[in-house]
Amino acid sequence: MKILGISAHYHDSAAALVVDGVPVAAVQEERLSRRKNDATFPISAIEWCLDRAGVDPSDLDAVVFYERSMLKFDRILTCALRAFPHSWRSFPNAIKNSLGEKVWVRGIITSHLGVPRRKIFFTDHHASHAAAALFSAPTRRAAILTADGVGEWATLTVGRGERRPDGAAEMTLQREIRFPHSLGMLYSTFTAYLGFAINEDEYKVMGLAAYGRPTMIEQVRTLIRSTPDGAFVLAPEYFEFQTTASRSYSSKFVDLFGPPRNPYDDIDLDSPEGRRFADCAASVQRVLEDVLVDIARQLRRETSLPDLCFGGGVALNGLANARILAESGFERVFVPPAPGDAGCALGAALYADRIYFGNPDRDVPDHPFWGPSVDAQELARASREDSHPVEELDDVPLMEAVADELAAGRIVGWMEGACEFGPRALGHRSILAAPHSREIRDRINRDIKRREEFRPFAPVVPAEAADRFFDLPPGGHRLGRFMSGVFPVRPEWRGRLAGVTHVDGSARVQVLERDMAPRLHALLEAYGRRTGIPVLLNTSFNVAGEPIVTRALEGYSTFRRCGIDLLVAGPTVVMKRGASPDRSLKEGVAWSSEGVARSGAV
Amino acid sequence: MPSVTKGAPLDRIMRPVHRWVWGDVDRRLRKLLTFADVETDGGRDILRAAEVTPDPLLRRLYLEHAIDELRHGELFRERGAALVRARRTWRKVLFAGNPLPGGHGLDDLSIEGQPDYRLLAFLHVAEKAAAGRFTIYRELVDDDPETRAIFEQILRDEVFHMNYTYTQLTRVSPQGYRRHVWHARAKRLWNRYLRIAAAMAGLFGGVALTAMYFVLLPPFVWFARRAERREPTGWTSISRNGNQSPRSQY
Ligand SMILES: [Fe+2]
Ligand SMILES: [Fe+2]
Ligand SMILES: [Fe+2]
Repeated sequence: MKILGISAHYHDSAAALVVDGVPVAAVQEERLSRRKNDATFPISAIEWCLDRAGVDPSDLDAVVFYERSMLKFDRILTCALRAFPHSWRSFPNAIKNSLGEKVWVRGIITSHLGVPRRKIFFTDHHASHAAAALFSAPTRRAAILTADGVGEWATLTVGRGERRPDGAAEMTLQREIRFPHSLGMLYSTFTAYLGFAINEDEYKVMGLAAYGRPTMIEQVRTLIRSTPDGAFVLAPEYFEFQTTASRSYSSKFVDLFGPPRNPYDDIDLDSPEGRRFADCAASVQRVLEDVLVDIARQLRRETSLPDLCFGGGVALNGLANARILAESGFERVFVPPAPGDAGCALGAALYADRIYFGNPDRDVPDHPFWGPSVDAQELARASREDSHPVEELDDVPLMEAVADELAAGRIVGWMEGACEFGPRALGHRSILAAPHSREIRDRINRDIKRREEFRPFAPVVPAEAADRFFDLPPGGHRLGRFMSGVFPVRPEWRGRLAGVTHVDGSARVQVLERDMAPRLHALLEAYGRRTGIPVLLNTSFNVAGEPIVTRALEGYSTFRRCGIDLLVAGPTVVMKRGASPDRSLKEGVAWSSEGVARSGAV
Repeated sequence: MPSVTKGAPLDRIMRPVHRWVWGDVDRRLRKLLTFADVETDGGRDILRAAEVTPDPLLRRLYLEHAIDELRHGELFRERGAALVRARRTWRKVLFAGNPLPGGHGLDDLSIEGQPDYRLLAFLHVAEKAAAGRFTIYRELVDDDPETRAIFEQILRDEVFHMNYTYTQLTRVSPQGYRRHVWHARAKRLWNRYLRIAAAMAGLFGGVALTAMYFVLLPPFVWFARRAERREPTGWTSISRNGNQSPRSQY
């Protein structure tokens, strides 16, 4: 059976294709359209997935949309009614927004793909999150937890699932917490309050938290209160996200926490104001973790299962994931590489396959590489045309050469095979650098990523060596597979891993098994032979505000305009020239006064 | 500075409006922040052009061009941010929307699948308009040397952009370049019309929906509030499992 999953219209849309129970392609629209967090109907992603598998739209057995769009509209309308008359400003926009495209999903799918209506299916938003986590995890039976901002009505669900050896699969979500009571919205509200972009910069709050002390837990606890049954409610008077789209916190919130941060001010962590913001971040982070740990503990008691599958945008919070692993009683925690809404495209397709159609469950390959491949030839050609030194090397000499460059402090753009599905670069579209020096880290921040200094960079380490450098609890390897957990760097190594150790001594480490990315693994080993430390700084291959690069020429254009010294795609290695002759373009090739005069005449 | 950058006739006529916009610090910084986004978006589009063009010389030029535009975005953003910091009126700025006319964006240009001559003609026309407008803006911010310096710097680049796009257009389309430029001008006017039409439609739609909100919604408010009061807090058990139609959007 050929099943296409689609996630669209709110944040980071995506498509995924499942054939006979196994994913064959999945990609976020932004990676192809090159517009970050592109939420439009993912037509390029769909076309690419079908093309990749050689499938015509008419061959599809089902197209599955990741949520019930009318139910979501129902929530938007209901919230407008409840907030009457305060919602009058946001109402027209909310309706225009929804009626523009979002509620006509079935029609959009038929018109774009020409598939008949009977082949179009819908899943619950959180069922998609849950399926993405459960059916991609190497476990037979697991408890399920999903948490995000909001789907249709649910913001958090718990349940359980089973993948039996005979191929039967079962997934039941038992309970939910409903909008507006939402951990994701609580965290996003603080994201906005701290002057960052909602739905995008949540990880900045997590990075900032390490600089603060959780001195405002009591205040945060007045916003979110536990209920006797072990769930939580938000106190609505502190929030406005449920009534308006322009502001997520109320003036009562400001009374409680002080004036919000001006997004155009830098955060000065030495000033009382800067420390207050860091303390705010630390406090909401701590409360989020506490609430999740409590819910996970309750779930563990009820199910007595050793494994937990955790999905939804909140599962991107690596600190919370590590605490769930350490404190909830679950022995293993599985977070998929794309736990957010983009991953729902794959989740919806897997859900339909296993649950709606009852197809036999199959193991999903345990890696994130479902996107377009890099074409090394394309890179070689463009670089030669621009007279950049290009070499094409076999694997062994290539690893040695690149390891030499890394050890000499050079920054490497690394492209390899199919690109990652999900927000993290896990070794196929990465910027790599030596992990020991703050100077290199600062150079990456300044010349490439242009981001705040309080945001840490992550290390990647071969699984065999991980425990030597990082203090990983049992189950830590698994959480580190897709960079889903934050763990302490062993104190004796912090000095020599200064570029990847956060201010609190932690790191969001990727624990790399050889078979997941053999070439990066070989590079780590080669680097280890030189320096004694087989660890590299690994950050996503993009500059601020842009999606991660997908194709070779996108890597190349990024390499050309930022501080990356060396670009590798498959066997092709491109060095940056010393001086850029392109400056002369301005004086020479294109600059002619004749052009000016003529253009005035046309 | 070449004479073509003295500003389009329309912009010269609109001078009092421009003076009004730039005369006020709040409007000025809002305008700068809008420019920042427009230049950055334009830069990304041109970057895309560099990634997809089969022509190596154009790739190099587009790349230089994109780097310039991204830098302009940065310059505008920094200056806008500095003014925000000085003014302390940022909340108003952020949430008040952006009703003022923008800079020289690429109007949601789709880069993929476009022949280079079309893009070059379009860029040439857009850059020329921008250079003209920036010349006027530069004169209007005489009281603000730092903003003026940014316009001076950017203006030099815009003239380069205007020129290279033209020379390259004559290279890739020696026969048809005049036609392409006229076509790009017409397209630009059409886009402007569409933008205005869409804004008007949005406005009317907004008014109609607001009227509907106050007329049609009130009877249902009571029901919604009652339902809200009855809604249990904490966990809700999910009864949807299994009995939900896979084809239902509800
Ligand atoms: Fe979600
Ligand atoms: Fe510009
Ligand atoms: Fe320009």
